[in-house]
Amino acid sequence: MTHEPFETLAPVYALGALDGDDLAIFEAHLPTCSACQASVRDAQETLARVTLSMPPQAPPAAARAALVGRVAERSRVRSPGWLRWAAATAVAAAAAAMFVGTWVAVRYEARLGQMARETAAVREGLARNEAALQEQVAFYRGAVEMLRDPATRVVDLRGQGPASAASGRMLWNDASGGQLFVAGLTPAPAGKTYELWTIADAAPKPAGLFAVDAQGRAVHRVAAERGVKVFAVSLEPEGGVPAPTGPIVLASK
Amino acid sequence: MPTPGADLIRAMAAGDRDAFARFYDRYAPLVFPLVLRIVRDPADAADVLQDTFWEVWRGASTYDPARGTPEAWIVMRARARAIDRVRAVRRRGETFVAPIDEGTAAAPAGPGSDAAARAEQRQLVASALTVLPQPQREVIELAYYAGLTQSEIAERLEQPLGTVKTRIRMALARLREVTHA
Repeated sequence: MTHEPFETLAPVYALGALDGDDLAIFEAHLPTCSACQASVRDAQETLARVTLSMPPQAPPAAARAALVGRVAERSRVRSPGWLRWAAATAVAAAAAAMFVGTWVAVRYEARLGQMARETAAVREGLARNEAALQEQVAFYRGAVEMLRDPATRVVDLRGQGPASAASGRMLWNDASGGQLFVAGLTPAPAGKTYELWTIADAAPKPAGLFAVDAQGRAVHRVAAERGVKVFAVSLEPEGGVPAPTGPIVLASK
Repeated sequence: MPTPGADLIRAMAAGDRDAFARFYDRYAPLVFPLVLRIVRDPADAADVLQDTFWEVWRGASTYDPARGTPEAWIVMRARARAIDRVRAVRRRGETFVAPIDEGTAAAPAGPGSDAAARAEQRQLVASALTVLPQPQREVIELAYYAGLTQSEIAERLEQPLGTVKTRIRMALARLREVTHA
């Protein structure tokens, strides 16, 4: 290998931008080559001059006060006069320990802060999942309780029109209300929602809005009502409407 | 030949607190714009500046005049600490967009004097590199101020690695020329 490639790598190294094989190759070469050491130094001096050519800007006064205070604090530890040698040695060791301690503490604080944030995010995610699971369990337990009751009936809902692949089952109990299970229904487009209707003898009554998950499934709890004969689901504007306006997607016989 | 900066560092190594204060007063306003330019947030920049000068005080005895000027010594430390901070922020997943051509880019939108002050700050800072042709200035900004490596720059600019290296070399040669004058 000629020396020419190193002359290109030196400034990149001085910038701290060397990586991969180039970095390994250059770092192996650098200790043996005074020309490259000089190039790196030269590039570093250039970067320093570029930096110092920026218009100066005073940092906040608090930064200076904190530093000067910190430096003074360390200096007061120094012990004068007698026992100078032993004290100086002890202080030097203590100062070194403190420096390492401070340095490590600063690094760890940053890392711990990051970990705390990550942990909090995970915990929050778990809490959300747990709440969702408990809700689901409560829902299924409710469904099982309903099935135990001989007064509960199961009503099939069939997909209508373009939603013919969809299906639904309503567990219905005149006294305790119902639970609707839907499958194979496309999620409602933006600005729309699915609305359930209960029909007794007169006009359909709104029985709540529900959304469909990515697998086309939905579950929906319905309040008790006497004399319901027919259930239907239609696609309605977001927020729901008092009387059906959109296409029927599911209906019982 | 010893410079005033080198004398101050030697005095600091001997535990001279006044020398530290004088060193700070001399260099802090010179490196603060660099730190601010890299980390952007003024509070973070003040933190990084404190870390840097604390390290300088603790490490004054490690300074070797044969290996560079006090200016290069303090600038490299300040830049390294600032890049550390930026990388830590990036690891936390906070938004960080490395600058491209900020010298000519429009000031960031947003009300308030803070945005205006930053835009002004950016203009001033960018002026130090305006001697470079745009492709060279871009690689220097990405490496020096955004802390990207040569491969990251190549990927980002969709240029061959060799081109990136050559541009950096040419840029530094040109900067050397103009700052020596």
